[in-house]
Amino acid sequence: MGNFGQLMDGFVVALTMHHVMIMVIGVLLGLVVGVLPGLGAPNGVSLLLPLTFTMDPIAAIILLTSMYWGALFGGSTTSILFNIPGEPSSVATTFDGHPMAKQGEAVRALTLAFGSAGFGAMVGVVVITLLSGWVANFALQFGSPEYFAVYFMAFASFIGMAGGSPFKTLVCIMLGLAVGTVGMDTISGEGRLTFGITQLTNGISFLIVVIGLFGIGELLLTIDEGYKFEGVKAKLSLRVILRTLAELPRYWVTLLRSALIGCWMGITPGGPTAASFMSYALGRRFSRRGKYFGKGEPEGIVAPETADHSAGSCALLPMLALGVPGSATAAVMMGGLMIWGLSPGPMLFTTRPDFVWGLIASMYLGNVIAVVLVLATVPIFAWILRAPFTVVGPLIAIICLIGAYTVSNHIFDIWVALAFGLVGYVFKKLDYPLAPFVLAVVLGDKAEDAFRQSMLSSGGSLSVFFEGSLVATMMGIGILLLSLPLLTALFGGLFRRGAEEGQTSRP
Amino acid sequence: MKITSLRNGASLRTGVLTASALAVGLTGATAALAEWKPNRPVELVVSAGPGGGSDIFTRVVQAALTKNKLVETPLIVVNKPGGSGSEAFNYAEDNVGSPYKVYFGTQDAYVLPLGTKVNYAMKDLTPVASMVFDVFILWSNPKASGINTAQEFVAKAKENPGKVRVAGAKAKDADETVVTLMERAAGIDLAYIPYKSGSEAAIQVAGGHIEANTNNPSESLEQWKAGNQKPLCVFTSARLTDKTVVADGMSWADIPTCVEAGIDVKDFVQPRTVWMAADVPPEAVAYYTELMKKAMETPEFKDYTTRNVQITKFMAGDELKTFLAEQTKNYEKIYADNNWLLPASQ
Amino acid sequence: MEITRKTMEVATAVLTGSVGALICYGSTENGIGWGPGGPEPGYFPFGIGCLILLGSLATLVQTVWKHAGVHHAGAVPEEPFINGARLRLLVAFVLPIVAMTAISAWLGLYIGMGLYIFYTMRVSAGFRTLTSLAAALLVIALNFIVFEKLFMVPLLKGPILEYFGIY
Repeated sequence: MGNFGQLMDGFVVALTMHHVMIMVIGVLLGLVVGVLPGLGAPNGVSLLLPLTFTMDPIAAIILLTSMYWGALFGGSTTSILFNIPGEPSSVATTFDGHPMAKQGEAVRALTLAFGSAGFGAMVGVVVITLLSGWVANFALQFGSPEYFAVYFMAFASFIGMAGGSPFKTLVCIMLGLAVGTVGMDTISGEGRLTFGITQLTNGISFLIVVIGLFGIGELLLTIDEGYKFEGVKAKLSLRVILRTLAELPRYWVTLLRSALIGCWMGITPGGPTAASFMSYALGRRFSRRGKYFGKGEPEGIVAPETADHSAGSCALLPMLALGVPGSATAAVMMGGLMIWGLSPGPMLFTTRPDFVWGLIASMYLGNVIAVVLVLATVPIFAWILRAPFTVVGPLIAIICLIGAYTVSNHIFDIWVALAFGLVGYVFKKLDYPLAPFVLAVVLGDKAEDAFRQSMLSSGGSLSVFFEGSLVATMMGIGILLLSLPLLTALFGGLFRRGAEEGQTSRP
Repeated sequence: MKITSLRNGASLRTGVLTASALAVGLTGATAALAEWKPNRPVELVVSAGPGGGSDIFTRVVQAALTKNKLVETPLIVVNKPGGSGSEAFNYAEDNVGSPYKVYFGTQDAYVLPLGTKVNYAMKDLTPVASMVFDVFILWSNPKASGINTAQEFVAKAKENPGKVRVAGAKAKDADETVVTLMERAAGIDLAYIPYKSGSEAAIQVAGGHIEANTNNPSESLEQWKAGNQKPLCVFTSARLTDKTVVADGMSWADIPTCVEAGIDVKDFVQPRTVWMAADVPPEAVAYYTELMKKAMETPEFKDYTTRNVQITKFMAGDELKTFLAEQTKNYEKIYADNNWLLPASQ
Repeated sequence: MEITRKTMEVATAVLTGSVGALICYGSTENGIGWGPGGPEPGYFPFGIGCLILLGSLATLVQTVWKHAGVHHAGAVPEEPFINGARLRLLVAFVLPIVAMTAISAWLGLYIGMGLYIFYTMRVSAGFRTLTSLAAALLVIALNFIVFEKLFMVPLLKGPILEYFGIY
């Protein structure tokens, strides 16, 4: 197998002292950047880019990707501890990670997240190693209808999962879609829903919505619940970490399923954020303990984390092979490639195998280093949690506000984040589901673009979504996922009437 | 010309300016103006997201300047892609007079206000320089669409009016403009499909989902080498000069101009422009003009222009102003023809 | 002062409903039809607005109907949305944040966050003035180093810092 030999050569490239040092530095920087929502991986990579101008391309890409891994891990940390997703893709981790941390099991939650994230990333890299040649060709088969089908599937998997009032779910999804619509329309080049307000022309950033809904919203809820912030109980012993790691293999079904979803969404244009949501939703549906999701269930952490990281790794492949970045961070890295004089595209694998395979080898090592380092930081975070809320609360508030500001240097964005904070607080108390809202913001705009591009290219015929085996299969799966909860509700409802009544869950 | 006021408090401290007042706007007169220098980090604001053409242009300038130690203060690239890039120029309006922010764009700076409701006007910007021109090429997917030459493309479009699809980046931007010019010149009717970026559009053609696209050379180069795309013609009045063979025994110089191929669209090129906010100290403008000129001399920048098959032409001062006025007028006409002008264009 | 759940449900539904109506109105500027090349720019937003309106109305009806039922049955009174004491706590937390944002817009983020931390440490957490002052300065310094020096992300400075030549 040619790939294996080349991978070994790659390890020879990556395993020098110099490169390992770079990985450690990159991961550490990434952790800092990921923890602060105001920085984030794209920002961090963009800031490091000038440093790499004087490095050779292999060392440079290793630095950037290591930072990327570090940031992904760091993003999960704040999601779990403070309910602030440091990265868009770690939103789904807040659903169960934060409740578990609130119950005093922060260390367990963090360890679960990091362990499963490491597993997911590994699966992703193995997939890249084995399938690199095939993936590039496969990705080329994705036209606009296929893009739409991917988004449709992600959406369909999520829609049925929200408990509670269907009307509230509807309102949430639609509000999310509306938020995604604000700003310049790709297809027509017109501003939409801007109402003549300057700042709205630029659109509403997903990060600001998330900082508001989750970060600030959670702060308000904590106060409402009477400062119940039981981080104090967090035991910071090595034994908890080790015991939790030993616990992981028990969730092998979730791990595997989530890794597969992650790889699929990473290779196709879905991306890590959609992958983590989809994996969470499917985990909730297929797990025996699905109804406990949202209350601090281990599988509710494992599912999104695994998918997020396997998608994050796999998303680098379309970037290298097609020059189409799968995420904002990948876009910055791709800019870096071009500045170093490399052109991403199908020929990169043949013209610069040392670069490509050195990078892939560094992904194996970088992830191992990241898991070890991030586990080492757990006690520090557990220590922060011991401070009283009257001190931690304002600090979290400042982190949120600065985070909102740095997205595009507008004070206006801070006001928007505060408004979303109130919305998040009220919605959560009234059982409006926030997860579909967020997913709608992430995918709505892309799905609409893909839909309208398909319409333009087919001359307005809806049949494009069912012509061709790939798109038809994906649409079929999507429709099945969409109708599944309806069917179970219909049939299940006949038998189990009243059994689950009075039970409302807050996802 | 006389400078009466300086809005920025910080630059007041840098010294008295009257001595240099005479040299305002003259690009060559550096000796008298050499006094001004940034004493804090300078933001390079890009009117596009990461990974796109403008972003890479800006980062190459950043790389060229830092690597060759042409600036002493750090340079920070800030992406402001909102509102098709108007966010960046709107930021200039918010930061009137700040000499620590330089804006990088294309023709978008002066074209955006023509067709969309934006929140800045041309008076909010001070032109600094135009550094290079990106050319546009019409590409096809020879395998999937069977189109191998520009003539075949036109013939196919004539047979299937409104059915031949051309992909490009964004709506009412350079790509769509050149497509409308092509339609008018060749008397054909095409279906333009906008994507978020030029590379996304290229992949759609490489995957055989769309017949053709218009693109800067670099964004389709790799797909050309892989045999998934083929250049049909280039929208310049003369052929490109690079004679190194790229793929299929063809070099950039072997691509016919669109005029040769029977599509009468001459010289549709995209300038890479540099701006500052209104009311900035003239010696700051002179400083950055000189800096950009120096950046162009660096090997990093030269590599970049070769790789992207760009036409290098540095313009600043009055030459630039004339060029911009001319360009705006051209675009106004095209926009009027396409019915894209804002109803109440200011 | 206590806010009942019903009041809040109704208020929220009315608010989301008006947002829906606003979106419907806003989308009409872009054309809401289905043209020859597929949907026009306002097509989806209009539908979205309508569905929000519909969902809000349904929630409103449901709330009113449910509460009417509860009232008749004379069941146990529902837990309030928020009681007076908690509401005061909440307001005491939110107002300083709003004040900080307003001050930041005017004097820059560093001064805003410094005043805010000083206030919360002194008033909410009850530390001594000197300790609170030290904490505020520490937060400013940390943020300054991380953002301005380490990662070169410029935050808003405002006229005072500008005057002292801090950038």
